[in-house]
Amino acid sequence: MKRAQSKALTPMKTTVIKVINETWNVKTYYSTLPESAEIPKPGQFNMLYIHGVGEVPISVSDISNEDRVIAHTVRFAGSVTYAFSTVRDGDTLGFRGPYGFGWPLDLAVKKDLLLICGGIGLPPLRPVIREVARNRDLYGRLFILYGARTPKDLLYRHEYVDYLSIRDVELHLTVDNPDIDWRGNVGVVTNLIKRIEVDPSNAYAFICGPEIMMKYAIKELLEKGFRTNRIYLSLERRMKCGVGLCGHCQMGPYFVCEHGPVFPLWFISKYFWVDQI
Amino acid sequence: MSLTGLYIGHVNSLTLIFDQLKSLGYTVVGYRIIDKALRLDVLKTTEELARDVEDVQDPGKYSLIPGNFYRHGPDSPKKFLYPPKLLLFKVTPKWDVIINSEKYEGKLAFFGIKPCDLASIKVLDRVLTNVDELYTKVRERMAVVVENCTSSGNTCFCATMGTGPRARNSFDIAYTRLGSKLVIEAGSELGLRLINQLEVEPIDDNTYRDFEVTIRKAASRARANFEIDNLPELLELNIESKVYWEVIERCLGCSNCNMVCPTCFCFDVLDIPKIDGSAERVRVWDGCLNYTYAQVAGGHFRPDLWARYRHFVLHKFAYWIKQFGTFGCVGCGRCITWCPTGIDLRETVTKVLRGMAI
Repeated sequence: MKRAQSKALTPMKTTVIKVINETWNVKTYYSTLPESAEIPKPGQFNMLYIHGVGEVPISVSDISNEDRVIAHTVRFAGSVTYAFSTVRDGDTLGFRGPYGFGWPLDLAVKKDLLLICGGIGLPPLRPVIREVARNRDLYGRLFILYGARTPKDLLYRHEYVDYLSIRDVELHLTVDNPDIDWRGNVGVVTNLIKRIEVDPSNAYAFICGPEIMMKYAIKELLEKGFRTNRIYLSLERRMKCGVGLCGHCQMGPYFVCEHGPVFPLWFISKYFWVDQI
Repeated sequence: MSLTGLYIGHVNSLTLIFDQLKSLGYTVVGYRIIDKALRLDVLKTTEELARDVEDVQDPGKYSLIPGNFYRHGPDSPKKFLYPPKLLLFKVTPKWDVIINSEKYEGKLAFFGIKPCDLASIKVLDRVLTNVDELYTKVRERMAVVVENCTSSGNTCFCATMGTGPRARNSFDIAYTRLGSKLVIEAGSELGLRLINQLEVEPIDDNTYRDFEVTIRKAASRARANFEIDNLPELLELNIESKVYWEVIERCLGCSNCNMVCPTCFCFDVLDIPKIDGSAERVRVWDGCLNYTYAQVAGGHFRPDLWARYRHFVLHKFAYWIKQFGTFGCVGCGRCITWCPTGIDLRETVTKVLRGMAI
């Protein structure tokens, strides 16, 4: 495989055209891609740069091929992402990428899709939901399992109606800590997997969330009869370059930014279960 | 690969080679003594080259004593091929990105580096050629005059890693000092040109025997207690070994091992705001033993020192092969010598393989 060049670390410039407040600590930033930039595929990520502050790897959370508009959903967690909280429409951002391999939608054609997301793990899978909605006949049934800490942390709440209007869809939501108005499921998202009636030999599972949640999800899926080539997960690691040069994102012999971030389980199963690999 | 076979001359002709390189326009880098250690530095004359010293290296110990053969210090060629700190670009307040377009027109020659250091360049070739612009450019125009080791240090294990004590290829000149005799061979056209300037003759049987014995003796000492045969697989099979836990009881997590390692390539990216409203992006060396190496906002993938140390060991001896088709370790022993607490990589690997605790 041709490897990237270290001059790839230079950002391009883009302007934020829309900012959406998702929750108390999450916002989505829409921006228009310059002509020279590649349009990301679902599951890929960009390195977003705030002038003088730093750079963070953020998965693409919405893609519009027609007008070249893409979105990134950012949770304010560290020094750079906190700086994002003050970014408004009209502001300039630096960005690089897209990087890595995304979700294998070509393999999932005619198959049922089981999306398992935890917390900020929904944004990388949102383009998959959009893709299924757009090309409904290409795919089998769609299952969306989504868990958040509290009802206040559920992302894209205004969109769930749209999700439910997709044909042959099941949307299961759960929270760890309900509030007084919550009527839905309580508990971890992995508990929902048992309820799904799906034929593992005719389905793909895409998982994105905290690593501990993904580990339990995998256990449930394996128990259900999913084979390791039908389970894909998107990994998080520290990434400084995004192109497999700086070394920080290594998980075993893999550079998560370059070889992932979306891996089939059989690729990484030898290392994934090793503590602090 | 040797183009000439071995020739014999006088050690004084080394000065001639050095001067020839200078007159050909090379910036010559060799070992000189700075702060009681051998440091790689740009040299003007052979006078500046370290001489009449020997380096004594032990786990966590380094000193210079009078002698006539030395190996290396904390620096490696990496310092010149892949600088510790490099400005990548500057962004003005108006968002113009100005890429650091420093041209690397100079020609670099390493003089008197040892076979392990040469091997480390070959490892970096796999990692950085056509990937890192500066590295690729400097490397294209680089010359190497390598000195074979006639005596190995206490932390050396090049013979185990198959990188020394005699350089076999990828050099312009390789020489060996046997008393006042100089055994010399050329490995490139440049090397041939340099040797042609010297008064040398084909090696005689006695000197050859002497040469062979000396190298073999050096090799016999430069060994660790393991073989590299199926080492990568065994280390991965023992990935949960508790030996790492025990070793790091002495580890400070200082990442000295990463910094002195001639092949460690990890870097951190610093975005630095400037007083004039612009911002710089700088690339600096980073190491997997650093606490922040695998830390992300709201999480940490290797919070424990044993995991970071294990990553260092497994990367060098297993992952590197999967990533770049070669071991990441050349057996120079720097990480052992320059470890403040003298943690011995050879010992760690041996213990993991034996599956036993300290």
